Amino acid sequence: MSKKKKLMAETELASAEIIHPAEDPKLRLLNVSYIYSKGTPFEMKALDSVSLDIHRGKLTGIIGHTGSGKSTMVQLFNGLTTPTSGKVLLDGEDIWAKPKEIGKIRFRVGLVMQYPEYQLFEETVSADIAFGPKNMGLSGEEIIERVNEAASFVGLPQNLMDQSPFDLSGGQKRRVAIAGIMAMRPEVLVLDEPAAGLDPQGRRAIFSGIKRYNRETGCTVIIVSHSMEDMAEFCDDVVVMAHSKVLMAGSRDEIFSHAEKLEEVGLDIPQITRLALMLEKEGITFPESLYTVGYATEAFAALFDLGEGGGV
Amino acid sequence: MPLIDIKNLSYAYREEEGEPISVLKGIDLSINEGEYVVILGHNGSGKSTLAKLMNMVVDDYEFAQGQILVDGIDVLSEEITDDDVLNLRKTVGMVFQNPDNQLVATIVEEDVAFGPENLGIPHPELRERVDRALETVGMSRYAHHEPHRLSGGQKQRVAIAGIIAMMPRVMIFDESTAMLDPIGRREVIETLEMLNREKGITVISITHYMDEAARADRVIVLDDGKILLDGTPAEVFAHKEKLRAAGLELPQCTALCYELMAKGLKLEGPFNTPEQCAEALTRAYRRREG
Repeated sequence: MSKKKKLMAETELASAEIIHPAEDPKLRLLNVSYIYSKGTPFEMKALDSVSLDIHRGKLTGIIGHTGSGKSTMVQLFNGLTTPTSGKVLLDGEDIWAKPKEIGKIRFRVGLVMQYPEYQLFEETVSADIAFGPKNMGLSGEEIIERVNEAASFVGLPQNLMDQSPFDLSGGQKRRVAIAGIMAMRPEVLVLDEPAAGLDPQGRRAIFSGIKRYNRETGCTVIIVSHSMEDMAEFCDDVVVMAHSKVLMAGSRDEIFSHAEKLEEVGLDIPQITRLALMLEKEGITFPESLYTVGYATEAFAALFDLGEGGGV
Repeated sequence: MPLIDIKNLSYAYREEEGEPISVLKGIDLSINEGEYVVILGHNGSGKSTLAKLMNMVVDDYEFAQGQILVDGIDVLSEEITDDDVLNLRKTVGMVFQNPDNQLVATIVEEDVAFGPENLGIPHPELRERVDRALETVGMSRYAHHEPHRLSGGQKQRVAIAGIIAMMPRVMIFDESTAMLDPIGRREVIETLEMLNREKGITVISITHYMDEAARADRVIVLDDGKILLDGTPAEVFAHKEKLRAAGLELPQCTALCYELMAKGLKLEGPFNTPEQCAEALTRAYRRREG
């Protein structure tokens, strides 16, 4: 690197004001911009100088409208797209430092795309899940272990393992596809709308499995979703995207205490949070922001002095 | 006479080999003109099959039994004529889940014209229908746009306009909001409610979003190929355990109100929407203060 270039890189570092900073982030975006179809009439800035930390070991949710830049962002995390400008740091190192080795990054940051069930292709469920670990060059024993572990995270019963993935229901296929990435045990697991199109219990099963993976392996997990209610229930941290920028990022408590701001940008806040805002206008207030049924039940029980489980 | 009258309907399909797989097991269901009905059920409960049978868009009728009368014509009858099928398609319009799979033309207004043109609607009227349909869904501004550049919600509204232009009496929405983001969902729900309330079109919406069900006149819950519950949203939501067993969950606020009542708080319903729940809780709070 030339002296001038190095200096520029450092200036870039210094000027970036990182949102939701961590001391030792798993992933860091530094002044990242991404422009689609540059130089054509359809040129569009999908990300506009974003600087953001993703905290190590946390389950982070990314929300925002279609076109807010969130899908672009997750594709930048594993080097599927190259930033137009700025840097993506994984464990403090620029993932594009050696462009020829970007394949290694994709083993470290696993991406589950939308509707991943369309990407199944093997003859049996276990072969499909084993595809990734096999490509990583793991031994036969290790592969079996990884496959079984991943299947148990997503709740696939053993008797399905020898079936063709194409005979499964939509929700089961989805789980196979997610297990296939989990089996590679990426340091960062990124999922784009993992529960889209599933019924309420299917959603819950998928999200619980992902959370268990996060808690038991300690791997960093990032979920992109439209569903604020799922985010509120399962995530540690939340990143809100709007107009190609990060509108806010922080712990879920911090984010949901700004419910009105979320509503302003037209995001669907959880029903419970909307209820709390309506009651606030009637002069009924709560010490903390409410976003899950569990918390709300406790808070209301305390408010109304109801017996068992009622607050303090 | 109900517009749709289903009697003892059973349906199964056969994979390449093996026993037929039963999907619907004895459905009795009448839907009157002008109703706004939501059909709920988990993935695989049979709700989509039921919808597709009403419009004759399943592939295989070998294991279909019972009657599906649409405007008096039995869809499953062996004597059904091509004219009957054409009439059926004029009566019942269907909007599917994936907006990208439903648009066929390269210009929005041509896409909307596709259906009515194939029904043989002559020219001046065709133009009028297309314009009116686009106006109804609020997409007139995009008449000359390319569909693939629209947002998901906009694409779905174009697909709806294509159906409206055929002037059906019933519109079936088969998980038409499932692939949309919250704004797109809202656009589509507002459109379908407007079609029902202002244009008098019978709406049957298949979904697993419970908050959509809360806004309907009538909610039907399918489980394992049978009708588990059928009633107003309030009646259906009162069966929390049955819903859970059927793979569904109450809307958050409704669940909260029931939880609090179970803990001894006296609340007066309905609790279908967050607004209603806020009202009930405010009333309880004032009563306590007062």
